[in-house]
Amino acid sequence: MAVTTPPSRPSATPGALAGTARSRRPKQSFETWSWFFMRVSGLLLVFLALTHFAITHIVNDVVDTDAAFVYRRWDNPLWRTFDWVLLALALLHGLNGMRWAIDDYIRSRPARAAVKAVLYTVSGVLFTYGTFTIVAFQ
Amino acid sequence: MARTAQRPVETKVGATRLVYKGKSGQWAFVGHRVSGMLVFFFLLLHIVDVSLINADPVLYDEVHDLYGNILLRLFEVGLLFALLFHSLNGIRIVLVDFFPGMVRNERRLFAVVMALTLLVGVPCGYVILEPFIDGRIL
Repeated sequence: MAVTTPPSRPSATPGALAGTARSRRPKQSFETWSWFFMRVSGLLLVFLALTHFAITHIVNDVVDTDAAFVYRRWDNPLWRTFDWVLLALALLHGLNGMRWAIDDYIRSRPARAAVKAVLYTVSGVLFTYGTFTIVAFQ
Repeated sequence: MARTAQRPVETKVGATRLVYKGKSGQWAFVGHRVSGMLVFFFLLLHIVDVSLINADPVLYDEVHDLYGNILLRLFEVGLLFALLFHSLNGIRIVLVDFFPGMVRNERRLFAVVMALTLLVGVPCGYVILEPFIDGRIL
């Protein structure tokens, strides 16, 4: 197959190497797994996020999704699980995407470290807060 | 997405100005980044507004009512298009990454992504704006 050499990043498309000798397969690193995670979580999120949006904006009008609506919905542990999986995957997927973008655009090392520190702190705090909201709700 | 995009060619204008040689691929890359960031920042906001339900359900309903006004409805339509484009373009990336032969159909795939985004986004966007179009709000 006339597939050109994959891009230079270590995490680039393992799939593109499927037909070549095993010895040429790049070493698997954190970035390989980060690449793979984005594909898998992305596909799951297509279903989770679009279903969530359809329920809260298309099937129901947004003004009807008030506190009473949430009480009814979170009465069912399956919806709580659905919402928590959506929260966790969306936040991790977005966090990793932001990390890639920061690596691409912020050239100065200290600035990059500072922006990432803020990003990780805010995401960590909100993940904990969101998880607490879903678990502690009654 | 960064993994499948062509390498940027730096101009002499400045270190941060990047020019891409791709056509649809370039716009797919830019759109994926921008839509991803928009959804991520909305997610952070959304965790906070939903979490109000534990702290103060009355405040939750007051804040939640804001989502029904026309400005935020327009924002929700934007969120819908960002979600749709990011989902469909993400599926395109997964196809290209896991089935290298797909690269040959890349331009056609991007056209399908754009067509489906509009095909689903326009009617669903209409549903979100309907109360305003009908004159029920504002």
